[in-house]
Amino acid sequence: MTDCNRDIDCRTAVQKLWDYLDDELTPERMDDVRRHLERCGSCLPHHDYARVFLAALSAAREGEARAPEQLRRRVMDNLRAAGFNA
Amino acid sequence: MTASSHTTREGDQRFEAEALPYMDDVYRFALSLTRDPSDADDVVQETFLRAYRSWHTFQPGSDARRWLFTITRNVFLRSREREKRLVDLEDGDLEALSSFAVHSQMVRDGSDQILSRIDLGPALRRALDELDEPFKSAVLLVDLEDQSYEAASQILGIPIGTVRSRLFRGRRMLQDKLITYARDAGFSTAQRGQRGPKE
Repeated sequence: MTDCNRDIDCRTAVQKLWDYLDDELTPERMDDVRRHLERCGSCLPHHDYARVFLAALSAAREGEARAPEQLRRRVMDNLRAAGFNA
Repeated sequence: MTASSHTTREGDQRFEAEALPYMDDVYRFALSLTRDPSDADDVVQETFLRAYRSWHTFQPGSDARRWLFTITRNVFLRSREREKRLVDLEDGDLEALSSFAVHSQMVRDGSDQILSRIDLGPALRRALDELDEPFKSAVLLVDLEDQSYEAASQILGIPIGTVRSRLFRGRRMLQDKLITYARDAGFSTAQRGQRGPKE
């Protein structure tokens, strides 16, 4: 395989940057973007910025939100009225 | 197994073991979609009722959380009786370029440090609250609920390419909102290097 010698340009790297950070590319494409970022001073700041943004976004999740007890009771009441009998 | 097996005790026990444990996840997703605890309650109740009634269609061994999210999203859309139809081009690559063009412009005008000066958590929650559908669901599922593009495409019933474009556009819209909040809060490009708005 010649993939290890394949270079991608900045446009392609930026087009695939979100996919790269989401780990949604093929292993070969992940390597392409990683190698580009290692060498490109223009694209690396985009990567760093996007990574910080995604980390903050992930942390913004309503992590502590739990279904209130009253809601749980209503759900179970509804289910029993529909025939639920575990 | 019969078509009515979901009403058997065995089916009910499977529902109790495999679906009901996700009530917190469903509630959190519903709350993010509706932005209102009362509306979220309604969505959760309807979701589990529908899930129970169609439990016989659930494939044993598949992802019950994903299946419940699909129902949650459908219940939410039905309750709002709307899903905005996109009339413009849905192209993930173009959305990605556009997203990072925003960052390039921020670097050029010196506003790229703004985001490091605001408390991102509350600002992002507010921005998420204001984010419109269908972008919001894509962001919630992938960025907050850790769903893959493929899982999100199944939950939303759209192609993976559409998930990408909606997700990337949603992220760009969030970035735009953050910049607006930061500027509204008194941060300006002239304050580069300072830690906060003038006191």
